[in-house]
Amino acid sequence: MTPIITAVLVLSALSGLLTLLLLVAEFFFANYGECIIDVNNGEKTFKVEGGANLLTSLASQKLFLPSGCGGRGSCGTCKCRVLDGGGPLLPTETPYLTDEEQKTAVRLSCQVKVRNNVKIEVPKELLSIKEFETVIESITDCTHDIKGLRFRLPEGETIKFKAGQFVNLLSKPYDDVKEGTSRAYSISSAPSDNKAIELVVRYVPNGMVTTYVFKHLKQGDKASLIGAFGEFFLRDSGREIVCIAGGSGLAPIRSIILDMIDRGISNRKATFFFGAVSQRDLYYVEEFKAIEKEHPWFRFVPALSKDDSDHPYQKGLITDVVARNYGDMKDLEAYLCGSPGMIDACCKVLAGKGMPVDRIYFDKFS
Amino acid sequence: MQPGVLTLKGFLGNDDRKLADIIVTDHQTLLRMRLNAAQIAARLQDLADRGADLMEQEVLVDNRYRIKVRDDRGKIPSPWGDGLFEKGDVDLADQKTGKTLKWNRLTLRLMQEHGFFGGYGSEYRIDPEVVVDILDLVPVFEDPAV
Repeated sequence: MTPIITAVLVLSALSGLLTLLLLVAEFFFANYGECIIDVNNGEKTFKVEGGANLLTSLASQKLFLPSGCGGRGSCGTCKCRVLDGGGPLLPTETPYLTDEEQKTAVRLSCQVKVRNNVKIEVPKELLSIKEFETVIESITDCTHDIKGLRFRLPEGETIKFKAGQFVNLLSKPYDDVKEGTSRAYSISSAPSDNKAIELVVRYVPNGMVTTYVFKHLKQGDKASLIGAFGEFFLRDSGREIVCIAGGSGLAPIRSIILDMIDRGISNRKATFFFGAVSQRDLYYVEEFKAIEKEHPWFRFVPALSKDDSDHPYQKGLITDVVARNYGDMKDLEAYLCGSPGMIDACCKVLAGKGMPVDRIYFDKFS
Repeated sequence: MQPGVLTLKGFLGNDDRKLADIIVTDHQTLLRMRLNAAQIAARLQDLADRGADLMEQEVLVDNRYRIKVRDDRGKIPSPWGDGLFEKGDVDLADQKTGKTLKWNRLTLRLMQEHGFFGGYGSEYRIDPEVVVDILDLVPVFEDPAV
């Protein structure tokens, strides 16, 4: 038994040593020189120093692929098609790629090392995504655990986005957090307000970026935002809409409603159901009430699920409140933003009232 | 696993043992109590499900457990690199024992797939010795010594 264990240990040690030698050799001797990244068949080309991963190389050229983990290979969101020069598919990528994606050259850009010229294909919209070095104009306490932040863009810069989309907020190192990281937050301001970006951030206990926002960011600080991303936006169907949100899910709905006002869309009825537990969880009520007063097409329905005090709002879970406000919903469309649980529950209610599922749009907080 | 890498406080709490030792010790405890991780994870998931979809209202389950399920945006990556798990903590207070538990989807994954119950002092530690009393778990396999 002992010789077998010894042999295994010796082999493992040798493999480890060889790997280490290769890594050291690569670090000191590998020089990939200048490499060209061709994006979308010549639509853009970048000259980069070889050796870094594709995600980082693209970001250095201000082409930002969405990434939830900052390039650690654990989120599987930084996908793009690598048509040439990407090398073989790695075992670290396969868990995140479907068979179809693997067949069509989709790769995780954080796992692809740029060693030579590379040809890639990314969705066209990503080419317009920018990083903004902003200054925090204001931070407002919306509720006990939600803050509203307004970021002023640099002089002369503007952002183009669709109401409902999100940006990534980059945090800086603090306390035990040695590296900056980023999280996605929906934009709560209107696209017409394009020299600034407003976000609504709810405190997540132990959340790395929300702790940064709540305990370290202050008015006048600089902050980086990258965006805008996302497929959650108002469809131009002309149908009556129902918006349902909870917590910080109010943000994209606010952007959509403000955008409807700016674009003069008054021929579509819109009702916004905002679910909260108690009165202390409500915010922007005065603003939505004012919009309701001025725009007859808009109705705001806050609902409290557990508040026995005397209040003017509807009572019950938001799903129950929506259900009792409508009969047949087959001609409506819905925009939902909240937790996966809330979205699933709302989808059941809406589908049960005849709304086709392909007309239920949601941002599932993920 | 360390604070500030994947999560603000990490997964080890103030435990200075090696990861392997943490896992092995909890595994031995489970064996001694004739329980398994899947059984604990399934029970916790069941309790979480019964507190879910209530828009963060606290609910009394089985006339014993006060449960509140938070809905938070985003996902947490597993330190084992095997996926992303939706955030949202479940807080449980057991009225019978006075003890509390906190977990989320990642906690259950780490417990079930990797035998990791959290380091001592971690808010998310599901201590097998503690959880057995809270959940009234019964042994799932015979005592090999009998």
